[in-house]
Formats: sequence, structure tokens, C-alpha cells
Amino acid sequence: MKALMSLGALVGVLGLLLLGGMIFDVVPSNTVRLIEGYMPMQMLAEVACYVLGFAGLSYMLNAMGMGIPRFWQGIGFWVFLMMYLKFRVYPPIPFSVRAMYGTVALVTVFMWVSASEEDWKKFKQPIMNVLDAQTGMNRMLRYMYLVLLPILIGGFSFNAMMPKSEEPIELRTVHPAPPASTKVQGKTYVLQTSQSPYRVNPEGKYDQEYSNANIVEQGMGRLMKPNANPWDEKNQGYLKYVREGGEIFFQNCHFCHGDNLNGRGLHAFAFNPIPANFTDPGTIAQLQETFIFWRVAKGGIGLPNEGFPWASVMPPWEQHLTVDEIWKVILFEYWHTGYYPRTWD
Amino acid sequence: MMNSISPKAGVVTATAFAVLLTSGGFTSLVFAQGLPEGFKKGDLAPEPSAEMIEAGKRVYFTKCVWCHGVDGAGDGPGADRLWPRPRNFNQGTFKIRHTASGELPLFDAKKPVAGQNDLFETVTHGLPGSAMPPWEGILSEEQRLQVLSFVTTQLVKDRKFTDKQSETQTILNLADLKPKPATDESKNRGAELIVEKKCVECHGMEGRGDGNAFNLKDDWGFSIQPANWHKCWNFRGSRQDPYNVSNIFRTFSTGVNGTPMPSFADNTSVDERWDIANFVNSLCERNALGEPLPIDPLTDKPKINFVIPSDMVEGEIPSDMEAEAWQKAPRRYVAMGGQITHKPRNFVNRIDDIWVRSLYNDKSIVYLLEWDDRTKSVAEGKLPWGPTQVNIDIKEQEPKTGEEGSIAASQNNYAVYNDAIAIETPVKWKELPAPIKPRYLFGTNEQFPVDIVKWEADGSLRAFKGTGWDKDFEQRDNYEENMKVLKGEWKNGRWYVMIERPLGNKKDQDYDEDTFFEVGQYIPTVFFAWDGHNGDAGRKMAVSAFYYTFMNPPVPQETYIYPVVIAFGVVLLEGWVLTRRANRKKGKTL
Repeated sequence: MKALMSLGALVGVLGLLLLGGMIFDVVPSNTVRLIEGYMPMQMLAEVACYVLGFAGLSYMLNAMGMGIPRFWQGIGFWVFLMMYLKFRVYPPIPFSVRAMYGTVALVTVFMWVSASEEDWKKFKQPIMNVLDAQTGMNRMLRYMYLVLLPILIGGFSFNAMMPKSEEPIELRTVHPAPPASTKVQGKTYVLQTSQSPYRVNPEGKYDQEYSNANIVEQGMGRLMKPNANPWDEKNQGYLKYVREGGEIFFQNCHFCHGDNLNGRGLHAFAFNPIPANFTDPGTIAQLQETFIFWRVAKGGIGLPNEGFPWASVMPPWEQHLTVDEIWKVILFEYWHTGYYPRTWD
Repeated sequence: MMNSISPKAGVVTATAFAVLLTSGGFTSLVFAQGLPEGFKKGDLAPEPSAEMIEAGKRVYFTKCVWCHGVDGAGDGPGADRLWPRPRNFNQGTFKIRHTASGELPLFDAKKPVAGQNDLFETVTHGLPGSAMPPWEGILSEEQRLQVLSFVTTQLVKDRKFTDKQSETQTILNLADLKPKPATDESKNRGAELIVEKKCVECHGMEGRGDGNAFNLKDDWGFSIQPANWHKCWNFRGSRQDPYNVSNIFRTFSTGVNGTPMPSFADNTSVDERWDIANFVNSLCERNALGEPLPIDPLTDKPKINFVIPSDMVEGEIPSDMEAEAWQKAPRRYVAMGGQITHKPRNFVNRIDDIWVRSLYNDKSIVYLLEWDDRTKSVAEGKLPWGPTQVNIDIKEQEPKTGEEGSIAASQNNYAVYNDAIAIETPVKWKELPAPIKPRYLFGTNEQFPVDIVKWEADGSLRAFKGTGWDKDFEQRDNYEENMKVLKGEWKNGRWYVMIERPLGNKKDQDYDEDTFFEVGQYIPTVFFAWDGHNGDAGRKMAVSAFYYTFMNPPVPQETYIYPVVIAFGVVLLEGWVLTRRANRKKGKTL
């Protein structure tokens, strides 16, 4: 038990030092980077690690007779969580969301410190001590609070009432519900039944298994399979069309969606909402190929209101590309990111 | 290698300089080896292993081939719509290096160390201002070294990285050269040196890259523009650390191979180079306190604040930029991208940001717009279309043209139209339930129209109503006489335009086609910019996202009263808690 706890404490302290180092630029701030798409899991794992660390640390300190009172443990943990959300997570979370997380965390901390009558008493003790002011130290603290609290609260409310020009928060639906069918260049496509005409094996038959076997490998770099190079002249079927789709992508789409399809293209910095990141498992990996077809063909202007059609610069590609070209680009996007399109069932 | 000095010639000039200097009573040990000051001799790196090269091929054909092409000639499918064009690897000409002018860059497949591996750093950090992204976090360190092993051995065809007969490595010893503190004295000396060393001939009197905007070509004959020192985040060699003075020192010392930018190693001392680097670095945009702008790590550009605050002034709004009110008004960076939504798309927008300030009084609001444009463009003669026409005959760049017809080859060969800028705001925005707005591009339809105020370099200021991206504008009656151009000046590569427009009231303006500005409200605002020498006109332009104009309200009385009341309430509350506690304790003890 002791060994286990010491290990936990060690992990926790190392993690805290690393985190502090990254925040204060002692070590490069990308020493432990948050990988896009895996960020929520990574964050949970990190926080779990810290909780373990704290538990270990507290055990160790207790064992050494230097235990921290429950009161300060609770406050310290809450402050740590808030700091973690503010400084660790990128892109930054707006204050309103952090305030929500903070409230939830506060409730949790309260539940933790009031789990048993004993704990609750221990937690209350420092507050009661100050209120009673039996010792000189506590008396001083009490007067300090008496003066400081009104000033602080008054100051906060002054700050809150001062007219400010913060960006209004606008929440947008990234994947709005698709229509049942869409009409592109004079032809109607039913989203539930349409298929990509280019997801075919060398014999020319629709073959999802064949194409899935030839997409790039998941893992760092997302490289093509060694025997599935779309630039091989001998290719027939799927890989040939992937290459043609890639050519169209790099003549039209990379300006915003980026050379690595991660939404960091040449013009991306100027636009809001930012261009979609196809390497994120939350975008094309979650969607059907025909949904993408609808979004590509109709662009930002074709979005329903919850998708902010007025702000999106996504072109309605039916104005620039043929239907065949659109299917090929989509084929390429799935190939290059190593994802399968979802099916309707 | 048209413009770069060959290594041999470099040595000769260096020796010549050494002789000159020593004869002038100068004794410098650094010149003893015939090397420019700050450089040391280096060895060629060993050839990468065959496995590395083979593995690199796989990376290349997944990620790079799309722009750099099958043979690495910079002619991939994406190349013709890019400017600058993707690098042609065949000649072995690379821009950002620690090696002397004309030499191959540092590359060692076994040493991914910053400062000792130029190509690795280029792939890691990308080349800002071009389409080359940073590959860190996408490709592993190993994969980056692999793909470079492939490129340097298989695609660089005219030179060989391991050939001791023809290649030398003279390395800038940047690790041992401590930057000189950026004192005023150093910067002042740098300011004199950039004139003396003729930097300003290309980079312009204010360093906005406007000195020689039309005649500069790279080794492949494409037009090239001198760097704008005020946008350090666009420096190719900024290595995602744009305000680091060492990057400027390095570029200045080694030159940029393949471009007219020479190395100044032979005719400046290390000390002088730090002075110049300090001065150039000091020109990069900074905030009101003189601190570097915060850079967004996701885009490597300055962080964006979408609210453009407008401060109130009593009486007349000054038309002099130096007036105190303008100096105090907060500046906002407005990022501009190409209009790539509807034809004709603008793949290369030469205006990539605008700086905006605003002031208002009881009658009008004034925008001060400043943006860098290397070329002042005013159309000669009458334009072939009317001012309200949107659907005009401007060609979009074809996707595949070959080098001759590419967008890079078209630079400086476009018909010249007017430089222009426009501010778009929704009409009747108050009736729209937030966040709904008319479409960013000239409005949605008759139901959601926009108010467009457009200034052109011929001095005209017009007011239009826009009702959709493909609808020609409608000219608004009686509005133009209420607007004023307070300033419209192009100086040393920068436009300064000040536009005054009425705030809007039902008596003098038309509620159905003019935007009414209200204090304390977020008024959606979009900016458009045209660079006449880029052939920009109609929808071929640069666009911003939606920003908000926010006219700062005067501070209301309550702000000073309520907090005091609240603080007093807290005092009472404290008293109550203490009394209660004391009573309870008394009860207990009694």
C-alpha cells in the first residue's frame, strides 16, 4: 500500500511540475501535446493521473505527519482544476463554460468534504475558528476578511457593470440534419440510397471492403499502405480515382482545409467559423458519404439556419465542380485521413 | 543560380574584403580562414541510409507529391494556383539556411537538431506566407527525416549533398553569436545601415516591401516580392517564432538562395548585422505598449479580436491621424483571406490584413483603415463596367495551366484596376434575431440586404445596397452626400483611408437601405479589399470574416453607485453572521 501510494505521489508531483513548467515556459509548452481528436480522453486521463497523484501525496504527507487540512485540500483541488481548464486546454474554453465546469467541480468538492460527519466537521473547523477568533492570528484574519470581502465584492461588481465589448458567443451546429434528397446540377440524389460511383474495385464494382483495405494507415503520419500508392500508373478503380480526387483537392480545397486536411489552409486564419478538420474523428468519420456530398455540393449558403449559412465561406461546389469531381474529392478525403464513411444503418 | 553568388566567388570576395580591411589597419582573426565573420567551416553530412530513402518515398507520395510533383519539380496538381509556387527541388536551391550564399542547406538524416538541420526545420515549422504548413505533430520526427532523405537524394538532381568535389559547407555559427541587446542606439545604427546597405531599395523606405515591386524575379523567372518587415509572422524563415531577432540575423547573413536577396556576410560585421536585425525586428507590428502581438499557435498569425471598439469624441472627429483621439483609439487586426466562395475566386490575395480604428460623435462614425499594399493602383482610363456592376468579366485562374499560364506567372501582368476597400453592414440588423445576419458576401436577398460603403483609389466614395452575391449593387440615393473621405493616402507601401458616414436617423436616412448605428450594440461588419495590381475587381477580392463594430457607451452613473451599495450590504451580512455565531456560542456555553 505504502509503495503504491508513494508511486502515486511521485507521478502526481512529476505531472504537476511538468504542467507548471509548461505553463510558465520553463520547458517547451508542447512537451506533452494534446492530440486533436483524442483531446477529451487525454484530458480525462491526465486529470485522473493528477487525482491519483494528489491522493498519494496526501497519504504520504499524512504518513510523515505533515498532513494538509481537509479545508485546504478542497480549496486547492478546486483551484487546480480551474487553472488546468484555463491554461492547459487549447483552444481556450470561454469563461462561461469554465464557470459551468467550475460550479460542477465545486459541488463535487463539497460532496467529497462532506462525505461523512467527521470530514464535514474537519472541513468547517478553520471557518469556525476564524469566526470565533479565539487566537490572535484568527482575530487578525477576521478583521482582514471584514475589510477585504466588501472591497473585493464591490470591485467585482464594478468590473461586471463597466460597459465591455466582449465578443458575443454564438453557438453553431456543425452537422445539421441533412435533407432527404438534394438536387445537384439537374439531378436528384436521395441521400439514403445514393452511392459514390468511384468507390469501386479494379473490376468496376461498388466495393466498400476493397476501398477500406486501401486507405492510409491510422497512426502517426497516416501514411499510405506500401502497396497502395495512388500515384502508381497501373492503378485501376479506387486508387486511380483517389489520385484524381487528390488533384482536385489540391486545386480547390486545400486553400482552407489545408495540405493535411486539418483545416489549417492558407486562408483559414481569416475565417470564422474555421474550416473543418477532416482528420478530427468528429467530422467526416462520423458522417455518411452522401451527407458529405450534400454539404460539398451546396456549401455554406445551402446550410439550414442553425449552421450559420451567412458566415460560412464554404463554396457551393456545384458552381465549380462536376458531380463526378465532387464524388472523387470525397473519396480522396476519406482515403487521406484513413477513415471509413459511416453507413446509414 | 542567376542571382546567388557561387561558393567560389564568395570565397574570393571574402578574401578581397579581408585584404581590404587588413590594409586599412584592421586586424581581424575571423577573416584569417577567408571566411566571412561569424561563419565556420563545416563538413558534408553522410548520405542517409537506403531504408530511410525508401521510407521517405512513402511519405512523399502521401503528403508532398500533390504540390511538389512526381519528380519534385514543383509542378504537382496544386502548383498552378499557388504563388509563391511550390519549391522545385531539382536544382537544390533552398531559401532558409545557415550556410553561405549559394551553398546547399544543412541536412543530416541522423541529427534533427534545431540550428543544425535547415531542411528539417523547414518541414517542421513550415514556411509562413506560403502554402507550406508546419508538419510537426502530423509527421513524426523520424518521418520528417525520412522524407527529406528521399527529397535530398532522389529529387535534388543538379547537385549532390555528399559530393565533396563540388559542395562546401560554410556554416553561420549562430549558436555562439549572442544577440546584441536591442537598445535605441543599436536600432538607430540599424536604421542608418539599411539605407547605407541599400536594403531600402527593395524593401522600401518604411520596410513594407514596396521598393521594387515590379521587377524582381526568382531563379525560375517568377515575380517575387521583398519581405514586408512589418509582418514578421509572414517571414518564411520565422520558424514559428516571428519576433525572434536571430531569424532576421540568419537570413541577412546567409541571403535567400534563388531570390535577389543576397548575403550580407561579406560586407557587414557581425555587430552591424545585429544592429540591422534589431532595427528590422523593431518594425514588426506591436501593441500599444510596444509588446509583440500574441500569436495564435493554430494559425501562426496574430490572435484575432472580432470586436472593433469605437470611442466617442465630443465635437468634430479629427481627420488628422496624429490627433490624440486617434492615437488613443484601440487598433484591431482584421485578417483577410481570398474570396474563394464564388467565381471568380481569388486564390492569391495580396492584402492579408487590415488595421482598423474607429471613432464616433453624435452624428457620424469614422473608420480609419490602414493596410499594406506594395503597389498603388489607379486604373488608367475608364473602367469597362459601371460602379454598381458585380458580375463583371474577370477570369478565374484555371486549375491546370503549366508554368507559363500559372498564377505565379501572371503576377504583375494583370490589367490594373483601382485599389479599393469596402465596409459592409447589415440593414435593419436590429430586427434580425441574433446571431442571424445577411450573408457575408453582399447580403442574402431583398429581405436581408446589406449596406456597402466602398472607397476606390480614384478618390470616389460610393454607397450601395447589396442583395446577394450574384446581384448587381443598387446605388443608394442621397446617401453619398452625407459621407466624407477624410483621408485617402498611399505612402511607402501603405494605404491610409479615413471614411466618415452618418450614424443614421429616420429623418435624414432611409431605414430600408442604410445601416443605423447604435451605441452599445454589436453591429456585424465585414471588410472587403481589392489590390488593383492583382487584377482585383468585382468578386475577385480579399474578404474578412464577420467582425462587430461596437460603439463604446459612456460609463453610466449606476456603475459607480451599485458596487458601493453592494459592498455595504456585505458589511451588514458579515455583522449578521458574526452576531449569530456569537449568540449561538453563548447559548451553548450558558
